[in-house]
Amino acid sequence: MNNILFRNVRVFDGKNIQEGTLDVLMSQGKVERMAPSLDACEDVRIVEGEGRLLAPAFIDLHTHLRDPGQVHREDIFSGSRAAAAGGFGVVVAMPNTAPPVDTEAAVAYVLQKGASAGGARVLPAGCVSKERKGEEMAELGGMAKAGAVFFTDDGSPVKGVRLLMNALLYARDLGVRVMEHPQDTDLSRDFQVHEGRCSALSGMRGYPAAAEVIGITRGIALVRETGCPLHLTHVSTAQGLAEIRLAKAEGLPVSCDVTPHHLVFSEEDVLASHLTASFKVSPPLRSTEDVDALWKGLFDGTVDAIATDHAPWHLDDKDLPFMEASFGIASLECAFGAVFSAWHSRGCPGSLESLLALWTSGPGSLLPSSEEYRGMLREGSPAYCTLIDENRENTVDIAAWKSKAGVTPYQGRAFRGWPVCTVVGGTLVHDAL
Amino acid sequence: MVWKHRNLLDVDVLSREDLELLLDQSVHMEDLLNRPIKKVPALRGRMIVNLFFEASTRTRVSFELAEKFLGADVVNWSVSGSSISKGETLRDTAWTLEAMGADAVVVRHPMPGTPWYLKEKLKRASVFNAGDGAHAHPTQALLDVYTAWKHFDRSLDGRKIAIVGDILHSRVVRSDITAFATLGAKVTLSAPGSLMPRGHAHLNATYQADPREAVKDADMVYLLRIQRERQQDGLFPSFEEYHWRYGANEELMRYAKPGALVMHPGPINRGVEIASELADGPDSVILEQVRSGVATRMGLLYLCMGGAEA
Repeated sequence: MNNILFRNVRVFDGKNIQEGTLDVLMSQGKVERMAPSLDACEDVRIVEGEGRLLAPAFIDLHTHLRDPGQVHREDIFSGSRAAAAGGFGVVVAMPNTAPPVDTEAAVAYVLQKGASAGGARVLPAGCVSKERKGEEMAELGGMAKAGAVFFTDDGSPVKGVRLLMNALLYARDLGVRVMEHPQDTDLSRDFQVHEGRCSALSGMRGYPAAAEVIGITRGIALVRETGCPLHLTHVSTAQGLAEIRLAKAEGLPVSCDVTPHHLVFSEEDVLASHLTASFKVSPPLRSTEDVDALWKGLFDGTVDAIATDHAPWHLDDKDLPFMEASFGIASLECAFGAVFSAWHSRGCPGSLESLLALWTSGPGSLLPSSEEYRGMLREGSPAYCTLIDENRENTVDIAAWKSKAGVTPYQGRAFRGWPVCTVVGGTLVHDAL
Repeated sequence: MVWKHRNLLDVDVLSREDLELLLDQSVHMEDLLNRPIKKVPALRGRMIVNLFFEASTRTRVSFELAEKFLGADVVNWSVSGSSISKGETLRDTAWTLEAMGADAVVVRHPMPGTPWYLKEKLKRASVFNAGDGAHAHPTQALLDVYTAWKHFDRSLDGRKIAIVGDILHSRVVRSDITAFATLGAKVTLSAPGSLMPRGHAHLNATYQADPREAVKDADMVYLLRIQRERQQDGLFPSFEEYHWRYGANEELMRYAKPGALVMHPGPINRGVEIASELADGPDSVILEQVRSGVATRMGLLYLCMGGAEA
C-alpha cells in the first residue's frame, strides 16, 4: 500500500501548528494533500488520528549504530528500527565504528544497508580524518559524493586545530557541515563524572565545564577566521552554550545540539544511583544549573536541535562498576517521551512548536541542501511524519526495545507523550496506535 | 533503639542514634580486647570473606581480627588489580562467593561505587565497604569518631576538627566529614588548592587554605597521608615544600587548643604531613586509633550480623 490517509489530525508543519484538524494524504512518497476532509481513495491505509498531533518525522543528527564492526551492540537494521519506534524518520550514523567510516566505500556500505533496514532512513556521517586518528584529512570529497551528510571525528574532537580549520575550508565547497565534539582532552583526562559536586563527593576524576568551553571556543575562533559553518554536538554546559549564543549574535554560522539525557538527568542522578554505570556518559551528566541553562537555550534560539547521541552497549560493557564501564546512554526509543515529559514537568518553559522544531526542521536545516526531506510537513514535501499521542503514558522497558542496547538509565521510568506512528518515505514503518 | 542495618556501605545512612548505639557497643568490644581470652562466639558458624582488590594491610588485618574475635570463619580473598585484569567480572566474583556460602563480604576496591554494585548483585550476604577508591571508608570514620568521642567525654557536639592534607584523593575524609558532622562536630579542611576537590563547597565542611587558620582553636587535628605519586602528577612541587607549608609540627599545633588530639589514618610519612615529635608526642592518639579500629569493626559486625539470627 503506497497510500496513507491520516484522518482528523492536528498538523505541525515543522514551524507552526495549523489551525483545526486536517486529513493528510500521503501518496507516491509525497504529502499529496492536506485539507479539513479528504475522501479515501482506493488502496489506502487509513490511520484515525482522533485529534492527535502529526509532525514531520524526527531527525536525529547523532546516533551510534555500531555498524560496521560492533554489531553485537547494535547494527544498522536494529538501530534503524529502534529509531522508527522512537518517532525518527532519519538518523545520522556516527562514523566511529570499527573500522571507522572514513572512505567512500564505507559511506556507501552504511547507506546501502540502511536502505533495506525497514525503519528510519540512515544517513552516514564520515570521519574528518583518516582512521579517525586526527592526523590526515580523510577523502571528504569521495564521501560527500557517496552521500555523507556530516564530517566528524565524534567520540573525540578533531585532534589538530590546523586539521580542523582545513576541514572546515574543504568541506564548505562540498556543502557538508563539520560536526565537532568539543572537548579539551588534556583538561578532561581520565574523567569519570562532572567536575563539581559529583567529583567532590564521589572521589572520581572530573570533566570540568572549562574543558568543553575550550573545545567550543576553539571551534568558534576557526569559524570567525574562515566564515565556514560548524556544528557543535552534545553541548552540555551553561558556559559552553553562552559562548555559542554570543557567536550566533555575532552572526557566525555556528549551530549546536543537546542530548535528551543532558536535559533529563543531572549529576544528582549519578550520586543518587550510588554511581551506577548506566548514568556514565561523555560529556558527563552536569549540574542542575547546567541543565536549567540547556532548557533556556532550547527556546532562545541558541540550540538548533535535540540529538540523541544514542550509544548502545551490550550488558557486558555496562553491567560493571562505574569506572570499568563504557561511556554512553541508549535512548532512541524513549528520547521524545523523556524530553516531552520533562518539558511538561518544568511547566512548559517554551512553546510546543519550538520544542517540536528541535526534533524536525531544526536538525533538518543542517543537512546538506541536496537532502529533500528537511523536517517539514507540507503538501509536496517527502512523506516523512510522526504521529504523537501527547497523553499516552508508557513505562520504559528495555526488554521490549528493538535496539540491542542492554542498559539504559531510563529503564522503569514512566513518561507521558509518545510517538505512536512513523512514516518513512511513504511507508508506515512503525505503528503502535 | 533498634539497629536496622545489615550492611555498611557509607556512614551517611547512619543516624545520630545509630552512631551512638554503635559507639556504646564498641566500648563493650574494647573491654573484651582487654581480657586475656578475647574470643566470643557471637558469629560462630558465620562465614565472612575479606575481598581485597588492592593492598591494605592494616584495614584487612583489623577486619580479620574483629571477625575472628567474634568467632566467625574468615576467608581472605585478595585480587591484585581490577577484576578486568583478572579476567573475571565483579558480578561473577560476587556470585561465586555467594555460592560458596559467604554470609558477609568485606570489600576494598580502587573504584568508587563498587560496594554498592556488589550489594546489588548479592542476594543474601551483607556487604561492608572497606574503602572504595577516593570515595568512602566508613569503618575508618567509625574508628575516628570513636577515638575522639572517648577523649571528649562521649560527646562531639560543638567540637572543632581540622583535617589537613590531600583532601582530593582521600577516601577517609569524605566519610569522616559525614560522621563527625552527624555527631555535632564542625570540620574545617586545609590543603593546597591543587589537592582540594574543585567542588569542595558541596562537602559538609569549611575550607581554609592556610593550615594555621584551619587549626586555630581546634580540639583535634587530623593529618592525611601525602603520596609521592601526587608530586609526580604535578599537584605540588616537593615533599619539602609541602612540609613547610602544610606539614604538622609543634609550631602549627600552637594555633590549636592546648592538648588538642593528633590523629592520622596511617601509614604515616614522618617529616612530610607530620613531624616525628608530633606523631610520637603525648597528644598523638594514632596507635589508639588502630585499637579502636578493631573494637568498632567488632561492634559493627556484631550489630549487623549478630542480633536476631545469632
